[in-house]
Amino acid sequence: MTALRIEKLTKYFGGVEVLKDISFSVEQGDRLAIIGPNGAGKTTLFNMINGQLPITSGRIYFFDREITKLPAHQRVHMGISRSFQIISLLLNLSVWENTLLTYHGFKPSRFHIFRNYNIYKDIFDKAGKVLKIAGLWEKRNKRVGLLSYGEQRRLEIILSMVSEPRLLLLDEPSNGLTSEEAADVIEMINLLGKEVTVLIVAHDMDLVFGVAEKINVLYYGELLASGKPEEIRSDQRVREIYMGSEEHIDNA
Amino acid sequence: MDFFLSNLLNGISYGMILFLIAAGMSIVMGVMGITNLAHGALYMVGAYVGWTVAVKLGLDFWLAAVAGGIAGGLIGLLMERVFLKQLYKQVNEQVLLTYGFVYILTNICIWIWGGRYRLQFTAPYIFGSVDLGDFSFPLTRIVITGLGFIIAASLWYLQNKTRIGAIVRAGMDDKEMIQGLGINLNVVVMLVFFIASFIAGFAGVIGAQLLSTYPGIGLDVLLQALVVIIVGGVGSIQGALLGGLLIGLIDTFGKALFPGLAMFTIYLAMIVVLLFKPSGLLGRKV
Amino acid sequence: MDTAIQKKSIFRNYRTIDLVPVVIILFLLLILPALAPTHVQGIMVKFLIYAIFAISYDFVFGYAGLLSLGHAAFFGTGGYVAAVLSLHWENNLFWLGMPLGVILAAIIAAVFGLIALRVSGTYFLLLTFALAQLLYSVSWNVRWLNSSGMQGIANISLPGLGFAFEWNNLRFFYFALVIFGICLYLLKRITDSPFGHALVGIREGDIRMRVLGYNVWFFKYLAYIISGTFAGVAGVLFAYFNRFISPAQFSLGTSFLPMVMAIIGGRGTLYGAVIGAAIVVFVEYFASLFTPERWPLILGAIFVVSIMYFREGVGVFLVKNWKKVSGANDSTTN
Repeated sequence: MTALRIEKLTKYFGGVEVLKDISFSVEQGDRLAIIGPNGAGKTTLFNMINGQLPITSGRIYFFDREITKLPAHQRVHMGISRSFQIISLLLNLSVWENTLLTYHGFKPSRFHIFRNYNIYKDIFDKAGKVLKIAGLWEKRNKRVGLLSYGEQRRLEIILSMVSEPRLLLLDEPSNGLTSEEAADVIEMINLLGKEVTVLIVAHDMDLVFGVAEKINVLYYGELLASGKPEEIRSDQRVREIYMGSEEHIDNA
Repeated sequence: MDFFLSNLLNGISYGMILFLIAAGMSIVMGVMGITNLAHGALYMVGAYVGWTVAVKLGLDFWLAAVAGGIAGGLIGLLMERVFLKQLYKQVNEQVLLTYGFVYILTNICIWIWGGRYRLQFTAPYIFGSVDLGDFSFPLTRIVITGLGFIIAASLWYLQNKTRIGAIVRAGMDDKEMIQGLGINLNVVVMLVFFIASFIAGFAGVIGAQLLSTYPGIGLDVLLQALVVIIVGGVGSIQGALLGGLLIGLIDTFGKALFPGLAMFTIYLAMIVVLLFKPSGLLGRKV
Repeated sequence: MDTAIQKKSIFRNYRTIDLVPVVIILFLLLILPALAPTHVQGIMVKFLIYAIFAISYDFVFGYAGLLSLGHAAFFGTGGYVAAVLSLHWENNLFWLGMPLGVILAAIIAAVFGLIALRVSGTYFLLLTFALAQLLYSVSWNVRWLNSSGMQGIANISLPGLGFAFEWNNLRFFYFALVIFGICLYLLKRITDSPFGHALVGIREGDIRMRVLGYNVWFFKYLAYIISGTFAGVAGVLFAYFNRFISPAQFSLGTSFLPMVMAIIGGRGTLYGAVIGAAIVVFVEYFASLFTPERWPLILGAIFVVSIMYFREGVGVFLVKNWKKVSGANDSTTN
């Protein structure tokens, strides 16, 4: 099944063309990494897939349903979930509260006006389990803003997974993490089943080659290359872009 | 014809006062994103201080006007430096704080000057009228109109033709960039706030010639200013001028022709503008 | 798993010592009015009316984070409905006036919400203000909304309950207390629900909430309507108690009152707004006894101090210090 199909996606910011005619598709269960130098349009692409940014032209299909104009919150209910490059968690609220809000977000219970928060025992159970796995159970009452960066990142990623999404968009998931923490992230992603399709935007080549089965290279808003990791690694054009980090690619 | 001309002059001169009140508030909104609800109160303070200088102390009217301006400017600066600055980037809190100041300033004025409903305040030598053929126009209104244009022109010049103006306009669009260029944003902010508040206080003295001055005027003037800013546009001198004149004319002719409808029309116009062009007729996006 | 459950109620710890403030409050609310002179009873009614207004505002501002500058629109609507019923249909039936007033307030909120929520930030502020001003000018100019020869509607009959009943301040107080209790209870249930928690989330970061699956616009819209509805309740009570209503109840000054109360008392907690209402109403009363001229100044100073240094509000501050003083050991992080 084709999980995601992008057709001729274009985005203009004012007069600047940020994404040009991007087309590609992703099969269910794929692990696709999107790489490219800064400003290539990777985050913009994600913003359009999950509905935060309107497109200028083109179409997006999710499991053969067109979602091009669908509002962001509805895409969540179709099964799209996302983590952000800059931590998007609600910093003034506690870990626990952030977690609960995430759980209610994809359930009809979010509309309940008269039922007390405390009666949703199943959500409490799940939230508790998830936090224990993330190692944040002891800190559940702490304001997210007071956690270390690594803990925030961990929470952000794990919360993006709790809705059991069909499509998971991870934007720089190992951003700012130590290599151990980054290794944890790789492990977390690899534990996901084949029902989940994963798209990752990353600079961290360890992460990319540790997780991706396919790589798309974005350069100045265009899809420069697409293929298996080894193909991309040896692609001449890609090496040219990454001139400075050529060694990095070889060593990965 | 007489009706039309006298209402025209009334509308324009009233509009000028509205412009003076709104201009400062609009620029502050544009540059700092602060909706200063106490702006009307600064007008009030200026009027009362000006009254003291001109009527109580019997000094020159223009001196009184400047004194009113300085009073307004200093209080505005105090508000900004001591209070607003601490609430950097907390827009809601800043708006709320300025409202607290309305209470405080209004009451201080009552304390010092008494709660008299109407302060008698007219500069003696502006009385009188100018005769042009069959028509006779009160000199006060003519002077105010002229003054308004001069100030508008000066501000416009400042905004568009000077380096400071360029910095201010750029600051409206991108504060970080300004700081990155090594320009001391603090000084710019202080300057803008002072000038805006000065004009408010100055306008208080001028406006007192046409409108009655009383303790509650802080809020009433705020109302007017808000309408002008919304219609004319946030963050631009031209917008404040256009808005002021428009509202001044609608209000004056409206009151003369359809007394009940004027207020309603103005607020309806406000809503329409906010919905279709939120930044106002000539404004910049806030 | 019990330790995981975070009860947000302030009655979480059922310790004996916590009964002390409860007893005090109950005394103040139930016994004291019966002992107080008539005009003080009137002040207490005023407190209740404004407390309802304040919690309605706290709901939309303290919880949902929407700074509205036009809440008088709903308060005034409620009041005018009761007033018009009395003026034109000589009807003072409470069981008609209150529901009608509340429904109309809700409808106005639904219409205004559609308009105002199209924009955000400063524009939202200005738009809510403009919409309230619209009603202000309507109430000023439309003769049908005014008693003859004056501004506003006077001589509104005291509420008829359907059976013979003599009103006095004390009775009105207990009557208003019941209504206040119902309003507080309902709003508390709403804020304790997933919907209520979502509003807080929206206040803290509406972009995040959107990508979590919440229809943020719709939630804000509902919050706005709910808030306007309760403000209408306060307005109806106002008209019935003061037996008078005027365009001033649509004015900017009226819109500011619940805001000042919610902030001074502590926004986002409901009980904070109630405390704020108490502070404002009673400071005004006591100040009027000693320094009638200066009370707005005192109020303004308290307000400014609250914003600058007591961000959480006097009410919340008191509650927290009570916990400290009485030796509570809870694990809340605030």
